[in-house]
Amino acid sequence: MTHPPAERSPTAPVRDHEVLLEVRDGAVALGGRPVLRGIDLSVHRGEVVAILGTNGSGKSTLVRTCLGLVPTTRGEVRLFGTPPSRFDAWHRVGFVPQRATAAAGVPASVQEVVASGRLSRRPFWRPAGRADRRRVAEVLETVGLADRAHDNVATLSGGQQQRVLIARALAGEPELLVLDEPTAGVDLESQQALADTLRRLLASGATVVVVAHELGPLASLVDRVVVMQDGRVSYDGPPADLPPDPQGGHHHPDVDSYARATDAVPEVSSPVDRLADRAAADRRAWRQE
Amino acid sequence: MSLLAYDFMQRALLAALLTGLAAPAVGTYLVQRRLALMGDGIGHVAVTGVALGLLTGTSPVLTAVVVATLGAVLIEVIREYGRASGDVALALLFYGGLAGGVLITGIAGTGPNVLYAYLFGSITTVSAGDVWTTAVLAIVVITLSLVLAPRLFAVAQDADFARVAGLRVGFYNVLVSVLAAVTVTVAMRTVGLLLVSALMIVPVATSQQLARGFKATLLGAMALGCVASGSGLMVSAYADVAPGATIVLIALGLFACTWPLGALMRRRQRLAAPFSTAPEPEEHQLAHDEQDHQHGPDCGHRAIPHGDHVDYVHDGHRHAPHGQHYDEH
Ligand SMILES: Nc1ncnc2c1ncn2[C@@H]1O[C@H](COP(=O)(O)OP(=O)(O)OP(=O)(O)O)[C@@H](O)[C@H]1O
Ligand SMILES: Nc1ncnc2c1ncn2[C@@H]1O[C@H](COP(=O)(O)OP(=O)(O)OP(=O)(O)O)[C@@H](O)[C@H]1O
Ligand SMILES: [Mg+2]
Ligand SMILES: [Mg+2]
Ligand SMILES: [Zn+2]
Ligand SMILES: [Zn+2]
Ligand SMILES: [Zn+2]
Ligand SMILES: [Zn+2]
Repeated sequence: MTHPPAERSPTAPVRDHEVLLEVRDGAVALGGRPVLRGIDLSVHRGEVVAILGTNGSGKSTLVRTCLGLVPTTRGEVRLFGTPPSRFDAWHRVGFVPQRATAAAGVPASVQEVVASGRLSRRPFWRPAGRADRRRVAEVLETVGLADRAHDNVATLSGGQQQRVLIARALAGEPELLVLDEPTAGVDLESQQALADTLRRLLASGATVVVVAHELGPLASLVDRVVVMQDGRVSYDGPPADLPPDPQGGHHHPDVDSYARATDAVPEVSSPVDRLADRAAADRRAWRQE
Repeated sequence: MSLLAYDFMQRALLAALLTGLAAPAVGTYLVQRRLALMGDGIGHVAVTGVALGLLTGTSPVLTAVVVATLGAVLIEVIREYGRASGDVALALLFYGGLAGGVLITGIAGTGPNVLYAYLFGSITTVSAGDVWTTAVLAIVVITLSLVLAPRLFAVAQDADFARVAGLRVGFYNVLVSVLAAVTVTVAMRTVGLLLVSALMIVPVATSQQLARGFKATLLGAMALGCVASGSGLMVSAYADVAPGATIVLIALGLFACTWPLGALMRRRQRLAAPFSTAPEPEEHQLAHDEQDHQHGPDCGHRAIPHGDHVDYVHDGHRHAPHGQHYDEH
């Protein structure tokens, strides 16, 4: 089900912009088990979309589907208007996968891991140039790991490794950034640094899709929230209208609307997104009284 | 008279040196993907290839390359589409290859000595034709391993990320397997099929002890492989023993030497960053109060530039002024 634009956010002009990511009636099965169903999602240029939801609700699968890492059993996926299998402008996309570690079986320095974020920007025969090295140094500075550039990533702490993954995605100077729990285990100071970096990227026309449990300092950037529940989109709209959700827990972007919503519409915790939409509409009507 | 004056010895040495460079280069990618035993699996499959060559009277090197490559691709296919994990796929080919090889050699009626030369290496059987095939294949393997290093590294490090970076992950995975198959065949004449995997893996394990980055590990492993196979070949020629065993034992000897060396280096690194021996915070404060000392360019303490500031090493820690207090870096 697609949402009529007016209902989502009356103030955001970005909906007229080019659609960078689109899933229409998407369904996904992993290991023979349905994991996503009835997904309709489109992300426009300039938007910051946060994907929230409980563990196992399908957030990672959703972003992996959008990037063509997981095949759909139904429906269509478009990345910059092209199916992912035929897409070839990968330098426009940056990805932070959900990972426990940035290390593999052989030592790799922080700099080397981050440098692989530049690969989409050059043909296979060309070695890394000065621009590549400059950009790598720059993003290492951004995530505060410049002094660890030559250390083995396996010897970094969990949060530091997560910052390496963020730096790797930023290194390619992408237009569309897809971040799967980029701030998991990352300290507040570094989260703030990430938020500042994203703000700068947004000013230069970037688009961000971020999966998170706690938005933290990123909350002020987000202009649209998608809540996943049991493999479906249960809410898609501005953060201010987010219904409280007894299982999903932790996202209360603004205490005021949180309290009001509970008073006004007791049944908004329903998983069916139509109900959530109606609830949002009800609340808007209620506020206008 | 020096053994090196003999033609066959020069050829064998050239083959050994190139093998010593190529095998650890491919081995590094295998270790990175946690498929250290892949070389072994392919080596066993190549036995069937050699046996087929002996049976049909064609060049065993050629049939071994073909069969080993097919085996390597099959391992990738089983890994990708089959429900078996990588090591189970390896085991299946491992046993099938060796059994097939022994069976076919029996049918061909060649004595066990012929097969033995391929299983454990033999210098005197290296013909001029073999050496050229070996050299060309080894140079192809070395060139691809180095030129494609950034991409092969990225694919093995994080396949999902590599895919979103636009790299064809399936292609590069098969490429590494094929390079491994070719390397196995290249190494067959000097190290022998049963021990070739050791030359792919042991130098990498050695290099890992000392290196902090991927490039250093890769180049270090190639240098170590070259040293091990060159010296192993010479020793085996003088002592008249199988070259494969000698090369592998020297490689293992190098590993045994670097292990304590690596531990020592890591200890010295810890001493260079004196955080670990830092006194308790109160003592730190005390030392500062007593000293009434301003750190600066000529204060007598070792200065370490550190990002946007300078740390000073004193009383067993790296002192970093930060607003009203001090941090330890
Ligand atoms: N490879 C797989 N095979 C079978 N089922 C899978 C696979 N990967 C994930 N799933 C299932 O799909 C569902 C969604 O997984 P997903 O990783 O998308 O959750 P998530 O919302 O990202 O959770 P988290 O917050 O823990 O990261 C889970 O129930 C999980 O068990
Ligand atoms: N195996 C290792 N070898 C060398 N140094 C290491 C190793 N593991 C951790 N370190 C270093 O020790 C320090 C502390 O690491 P630790 O993992 O305990 O941090 P942490 O407080 O858990 O951080 P985080 O919040 O990121 O999880 C870090 O600076 C890290 O670089
Ligand atoms: Mg997830
Ligand atoms: Mg930790
Ligand atoms: Zn001083
Ligand atoms: Zn001090
Ligand atoms: Zn401080
Ligand atoms: Zn410092």
